[in-house]
Amino acid sequence: MKPIFVRGISIQLRLTLAIVLSVALMLANDRLEPVRQSLSSFLSPLQYLANVPGLLLDWSAESLATRNMLEKQNKELMRQQLLMSERLQRFEQLRQENDRLRALLGSPVHMDARKMVAEVMEVASDPYRHYVVLNKGSDSGVFVGQPVVDAFGVVGQVTQVSKLTSRVLLVSDASHGLPVRVTRNDVRLVANGTGVLDEIELKHVAKSTDIKAGDLLVTSGLGQRFPEGYPVARVTQVIKDDGQTYASVLARPLAALDRIRYVLLIWPELETGTPTEFVEPDKDAEVKS
Amino acid sequence: MSYQAAHGRPVAWLTMLLGLMFQIMPLPNLVEAWRPDWLLLVLIYWSMALPHRYNILTAFMMGIALDVLLGSVLGIRALAFSLVIYVVVLHFQRLRNFPLWQQAFVVALLVSFYHLVVFWAEFVIDGAHFNISLFLPAVASLLLWPWVFMILRRLRRHYKVR
Repeated sequence: MKPIFVRGISIQLRLTLAIVLSVALMLANDRLEPVRQSLSSFLSPLQYLANVPGLLLDWSAESLATRNMLEKQNKELMRQQLLMSERLQRFEQLRQENDRLRALLGSPVHMDARKMVAEVMEVASDPYRHYVVLNKGSDSGVFVGQPVVDAFGVVGQVTQVSKLTSRVLLVSDASHGLPVRVTRNDVRLVANGTGVLDEIELKHVAKSTDIKAGDLLVTSGLGQRFPEGYPVARVTQVIKDDGQTYASVLARPLAALDRIRYVLLIWPELETGTPTEFVEPDKDAEVKS
Repeated sequence: MSYQAAHGRPVAWLTMLLGLMFQIMPLPNLVEAWRPDWLLLVLIYWSMALPHRYNILTAFMMGIALDVLLGSVLGIRALAFSLVIYVVVLHFQRLRNFPLWQQAFVVALLVSFYHLVVFWAEFVIDGAHFNISLFLPAVASLLLWPWVFMILRRLRRHYKVR
């Protein structure tokens, strides 16, 4: 038996209600973070479920790898590890030297930040944005605004967190801005995403600014969000057109944004309120000298 | 009767959840732009078959869920789903009597309408760029609709969803 006579409110009224509600939601979007967080915690099992086919593919690719392939990979990794450890030795020495110099200047010392490896989940996101979903959430201590990097450079920052997953806005998204500096001469700039995956632009660059193609851009730490010194992009093109007020500068992100698999989440250490730490290298320096 | 009603309803919700999952499933880059709107197809079916049970509010709720899963501004897809399902509920009797291929074309139109609404909302909020590949999912949905329709009808008859 169909409930012909119990239709409740008319569909026109329902539609009006739905439109009013959804427009209200869109307008209030920025204040709805807690609601979104709980909803997406509730729905994240679906994301894990949708990720299963990708995991299966990975797993089968791994278990079907031939001995030959594994040996080759192993050799390559060994070689890399050797190179890296050599570099690390030099780096360690430089770090100590840097600490001593900083102590002499009386400026706060760089702290080692806490890091965690996260895996990118292969689930679809809003096609109009550049997002990736990570398999770590607030249960692992991930927070909104957290910097995310990969082996080559800055990937982006966390914009939404649920209990088991988090969503990262990539540096190439049109709404992403990042304070950077040029390593060659410490010129400070802001890098904006363009909506194209392998391109970011630097806005409001005066034509007299000393910047040229090939310059390396690193985070300047001025936004108080990213720790200083992580590589971001390399300048690809500088056009100084007389008709324009500013130079148009494009750069290519160093992180492989189109095929990221593993990323590092970083917990930046606050440089204020840690007086005990920057006394230590002082003593160290005295002992050594 | 109450037993049957309780028996059938979870099936409908399960198909919607499945649609939601397929919607966020990873696809190879080559076919990513063609991703059919599974959830919308399922919603259209149920609101056409049982318009008094599954209608605008169901669509609204599913839209919110999809917005959360895709990480977009809350309410965009809820709005688009509600508008599409409103059209379906308004004309459900006519739609039911169309031959399947004709239905598929109407569904493709509805899917393109949905994508236009989503684009329009994203454009107003963040200034998205228009791209003609917006309409590729409509083509995919056109090809898939007969299958979705048959499978769901079989499910509905088998489990006596009402």
